Amino acid sequence: MLRRLVIGAFRPSGCLQGAARLSTIAETNTAEVEQISAEGFQSPMIVSRDLEFPTNDGRSRMAWVENMDTVQEKKLGMVDLHPDIFAIPPRIDMIHSNIRWQQLYRKVNLVQVNNRAEMRGGGRKPWQQKGLGKARQGSIRAPQWVHGGKVHGPRAPTTWFYMLPLHTRLYGLRSTLSVKMAQDDLHIVNALDIPTNDPSYLEELAEERLWGPSVLFVDDTDVAPENIAVAADQIKHMNIIPVYGLNVFSMLKHDTLVLTLSAVERIEKQLLFFMHRSDRAKLSEIFKTDQV
Amino acid sequence: MAVRGYEKALGLLRTLPRVCLYNIAPIPGSNKRSKRGRGQHGGDKHGAGNKGSKARQNYMRIGYETGNWPYYLKFPFEPYYLGHHLKRQYPPLSLGQLQLMIDTDRINPKKPVDLVQICNSGLYKINPQCKHYGVHLTDEGADNFTAKINIEVQWASEPVIAAVERNGGTITTAFFDPPSLFALTNAKKFLESGEPIPKRMIPPEDAISYYTDPKMRGYLADPDQISWDRLVLAQKYGYTLPKIEEDPDYEMLTFRKDPRQIFYGLEPGWVVNLIDRMILKPTDPELKEYYKG
Repeated sequence: MLRRLVIGAFRPSGCLQGAARLSTIAETNTAEVEQISAEGFQSPMIVSRDLEFPTNDGRSRMAWVENMDTVQEKKLGMVDLHPDIFAIPPRIDMIHSNIRWQQLYRKVNLVQVNNRAEMRGGGRKPWQQKGLGKARQGSIRAPQWVHGGKVHGPRAPTTWFYMLPLHTRLYGLRSTLSVKMAQDDLHIVNALDIPTNDPSYLEELAEERLWGPSVLFVDDTDVAPENIAVAADQIKHMNIIPVYGLNVFSMLKHDTLVLTLSAVERIEKQLLFFMHRSDRAKLSEIFKTDQV
Repeated sequence: MAVRGYEKALGLLRTLPRVCLYNIAPIPGSNKRSKRGRGQHGGDKHGAGNKGSKARQNYMRIGYETGNWPYYLKFPFEPYYLGHHLKRQYPPLSLGQLQLMIDTDRINPKKPVDLVQICNSGLYKINPQCKHYGVHLTDEGADNFTAKINIEVQWASEPVIAAVERNGGTITTAFFDPPSLFALTNAKKFLESGEPIPKRMIPPEDAISYYTDPKMRGYLADPDQISWDRLVLAQKYGYTLPKIEEDPDYEMLTFRKDPRQIFYGLEPGWVVNLIDRMILKPTDPELKEYYKG
């Protein structure tokens, strides 16, 4: 695996996407990686971190740290990632339930159709009950009449709000990150600084590195660096969000996900905290819709 | 090393098209809509059988005996239920569950364990309003209990005490009155309320004998008697009692609350200000006198 990884790293850019994609998954062997890095790179950097809640079964994940300040990709080093976040069993159904929830919970129906009581008029019996040979009728707004009231029409406001269980929300985020990681659609950069605010720079960079046309940049801060903010603002399929806005829908909507190192740190911290807190059951109580 | 199943799945994803909004799906058949079938698709009686109360959904009321003089009217008085709504209840927690909590880092065995730690694990449910007076530590899983802890519970039996002490741990049975239990079971809520920590009341008359019994490691029992009974119990159950005097955690293992105290490290009468992170102590001599005795 490591050999393939190193070949992937040295392969000239612009090769087949499948081959270039080998760059992110690796099994940890820090000594070997360090040795190879020292041979291959001018300034090797292993960003080793103390992972919270470490796994005790030998699982590990590492990823390359790339730069953004040149169009050509430079590998700045490697970073440890938590396997419980970036390499969990990919559950497509969990991702689907998250997407469905994100689309539904904010939906509100504002269309209302009047029923027979709400229509104007219709209080008078249109004709007598007997003697005319006609069918008996009680109101001109009865539902069988043209311009009558509507039975069981849409009523406003109707909400589709529901709360997805915390576990499913967490699993959806972790599953999506793992899927992106496994498909090499997840890239980690040291910072979002680019030398110019020209949008063509970002487009060239994405094309050069075989990032899909649409890219989602995630940073830890609310305020993105000026150059990338101006550049990405003019490209509709490149967007920047802070870590607290990270969601399954946006990650899947964009082809490539680009995280900064500080974003990785924050995402891991938040997800691990919610995965391991002991009062998780109490958090969802206020959202119960079937309370007696 | 064998390749784990999810590694195969992640490896498979590398050869598959990119997962996006348009190629995800739920597990087939997972969200089945409930429909009332017609004809051959579950129609006819709709699974309710032929005739009778089940088909008509008019179930007999509970206790109705199809015309007999019902049991609950025939015997209106059952003496063994006398005052059952007033009896103290102790929701059980087994030693096996406790060991699991310790193994999964829900409880820290390096510090004294009491009701606060057990409730904060999120795995133990207790409601003082339902006459719940604390933890009953049961002996299920006693053979596999290996933790060395200093635990304070409200009820324990002899084999449970033996299982804890065999590992070099210590156990105390302690009584808490309902106001103290409200504070203990939801410590954060209590401290945020800004009330002074109440003093623990003495046990009721029928519980005095249990909590002063050294065999039950009662918190009101004589400590010398307890250390004697620890030896007696070790001989009865046939294990050698580890010497806690030589234990590096001796301080922790012998740490006890005052009979009037509720929280470890906090005395009755104190007010904890969580916002400013400070403790306010009473200065009035009358108050001091009240909380002391």
